[in-house]
Amino acid sequence: MKVHIKHWSAVAQWRWNIGNTNHDQDDEGDVCGICRVPFEGCCPSCKMPGDDCPLIWGECSHVFHMHCLLKWLGTAASKQQCPMDRRAWGAWL
Amino acid sequence: MTSISSRRLRKELSEIQTEGCPTGITLLNADNFETWYFSIEILGESLYQGEVFKLMFRFDSSYPISAPAVQFVVNQESTAPVHPHVYSNGHICASILGTEWSPVLSVSAVCVTLQSMLASCKSKERPVDNDRYVRYAPDNPKKTRFHYDDDTV
Repeated sequence: MKVHIKHWSAVAQWRWNIGNTNHDQDDEGDVCGICRVPFEGCCPSCKMPGDDCPLIWGECSHVFHMHCLLKWLGTAASKQQCPMDRRAWGAWL
Repeated sequence: MTSISSRRLRKELSEIQTEGCPTGITLLNADNFETWYFSIEILGESLYQGEVFKLMFRFDSSYPISAPAVQFVVNQESTAPVHPHVYSNGHICASILGTEWSPVLSVSAVCVTLQSMLASCKSKERPVDNDRYVRYAPDNPKKTRFHYDDDTV
C-alpha cells in the first residue's frame, strides 16, 4: 500500500526559558510581577508576544517584561532598583 | 481606551472576587478603575478592637508604575484610626505608599500592610504635627512629601 501525504500541519509551542522547568501542561505559566500578564503574553503596551515584547533578566535573577521594567526604571521613584528586592538593577545579558 | 492601570486593576479585581480579600478586609466598591473603597478591621488583640475603618484607593492611569493614593475616609459615618502615622484627615504616612512603593505591590498587599501597621500600634495618638499638617494638606496625599523617620509603630 502506498500512502500519499497531501497536506500536513505542524504545531509548535514556545516558552521563554526562565529557568523554571517544572511546568504543568495546563499551567498558565509565570506572570510578570509588574503587569501580572504571563511572560508568554505581552506587556500592556504591545499586541504581539515573542521577540517584539521580550523579557529582561536582572542580575538578582528576577524576570520581567522588558517594557514593564523600563517603564519602572524610567521613573525617579524607582531609584533604579529591582521591584522585587529593591537591589540596584543590573540587566543580566 | 484601555490603560495599563485598567488592565492590571481588572486582574486584581477578578482575583479579589474569586479568592476573596485578606481576612478583615472587605471590598465595598470598585465600580470603575479610578477609585476603590474597602472596609478594614483588625482581627484579634489590638487597640482597634470593634472599630471598622474605610479605605479609599485612587489610581492614576500609570498604576502600578506609580503608587495608588491611599487614605482613610473621613466623613459623617467614618473616621480615621487614631494612630501616630495617620492624620485626622485620613492621610497616612507610610513609606510603601511613597518612596518605597514598588510596582509588584498590589491593592491587597497595601491593605495587609496597613492592617499590620494598626495591629502593632502601642498607643493611640495622632501624629505630633497633626493640626499643622491637616490645615494645609493637599486633597491628594501623594502630593505630600512625608518623612519616614519612625519604624517602631
